[in-house]
Amino acid sequence: MAIKGSKEGGLVMFPIKKYERMVKLSLKGDEEEAIEHLANRLLKSFEDIRSVDTSKTEALVRVLDVENHLREDEAHKTVDRENLLSMAPMDQDGYFQVPKTVD
Amino acid sequence: MTEEDTKVTFEENRNNRETTVALEDSIMVKGKAQTAASKILDGFIPPFSATVCDRLSRRGYKLIGAGFMDEFGILDLNIKDRPAPLGAIASVKNGSCDFALCNDLFGSYRREAAKESLFYIHPTYGTVSKYGLIPLASSMDQIGIVSGNLKKGFDLLSHIGGFDEKDGAMFPEESYNYKNNSGNITLGLSNSLIEMAHGDSKGAILDFAGKFNVINVDLKYFDLYNRVMYILTSAEISNNFSRYDGIRYGYRAKDYRDLDGLYTKTRSEGFGPQVKLAIIMGAAVLSKDYYSPFFEKAMKLRRLIKNNLDELFSGGMDLLILPTKISEDAYENLSLYSLPQLLGLPSVSFSYKGFGIQLVGRPKGEDSLLSAWEVAMA
Repeated sequence: MAIKGSKEGGLVMFPIKKYERMVKLSLKGDEEEAIEHLANRLLKSFEDIRSVDTSKTEALVRVLDVENHLREDEAHKTVDRENLLSMAPMDQDGYFQVPKTVD
Repeated sequence: MTEEDTKVTFEENRNNRETTVALEDSIMVKGKAQTAASKILDGFIPPFSATVCDRLSRRGYKLIGAGFMDEFGILDLNIKDRPAPLGAIASVKNGSCDFALCNDLFGSYRREAAKESLFYIHPTYGTVSKYGLIPLASSMDQIGIVSGNLKKGFDLLSHIGGFDEKDGAMFPEESYNYKNNSGNITLGLSNSLIEMAHGDSKGAILDFAGKFNVINVDLKYFDLYNRVMYILTSAEISNNFSRYDGIRYGYRAKDYRDLDGLYTKTRSEGFGPQVKLAIIMGAAVLSKDYYSPFFEKAMKLRRLIKNNLDELFSGGMDLLILPTKISEDAYENLSLYSLPQLLGLPSVSFSYKGFGIQLVGRPKGEDSLLSAWEVAMA
């Protein structure tokens, strides 16, 4: 399977702008160039794992035999609402305040 | 979860050092401003303390801040040698405290502890509560200990370890008591890897190993450990860091046009370059374009790596011995520190005859780690 990206000088270049938008980042100038360079280096190194035959191997999701434990379904106070709101950059009437999202 | 008054004594300018523990700024202390060295957490004041803080405070330990750390503890891939040690290392080294607690996801503390003739104890995943630890890669995060004395470090570990109902991924044991198990220890040693050990450390490693039974082992996928590690950690980091959006706490950018602009400007201004790289790479390996060839493949390789280590442990190896440096390149060295994270294994790093050595044990095999050191020093 081909790895997606634009070709430049024979190397597959990482489509960094696409992923910036995806993760809500906007990179510029030298920083973008530096990160793009590292991303391409990493991507190229990741290619090495494709040579290993894993056709008969199941993915490992959980490394240790640790079971998730559940608590009783009982409602009780967790943290103080006022305390949490006090850390918000903007809040109003007991809510976190964000820019208008619907015109 | 109930609110607790943890009675934490947090002294940033401590004057006396009696059983003092420094905390990396990723371990939360209620009411104490905390940033994990990131602008994105500017103004954040934790509403609760980490379980490890609670347990230490109840036993009368004094807690202080540990100073400088990498942003969120994320590895700087450009770094070769630091101009100064990480804060947790420096604090123990200069006598500011007896111990330090940190989350050593990428091996920086393990390497620096050995370099500074200290010890780093990385416990088995699931034996120390992660509640109150600012998360990076939740399936790999584990609070460890920097100590000037290995036995005392394990004593401290017994004080912070044990089941915590607030952490959903823990073994059921209520407590652990680490001791020299005095048994015969067999070290697994990879000849090919030891040849790669940096500088003259090969001699020190062979000298240390010579005090034990030794078997030659083949770490089949060693060259790929760092790839698997970065793929999986960046995926988890990318997911975990979606919470940093400027809405509920921390830094919020100014002059945004809309909600999307708020998110983008806040995150772009709040994160440093290595964090941005990890977030972007994580999103990439989880995307349709790269999921199958990289993320899914890495998950399967993780199983192959586990199978390889399980075979070695079943075949008589008690501990795996590794160097602490094979390259000037941080990404290449990452392979040395990946096994404990990828497989949840315990490890210690230390200096022996001036060179760094790591020992990696089987799950809950911390006794053997302690025993090996004491045998070597006897």
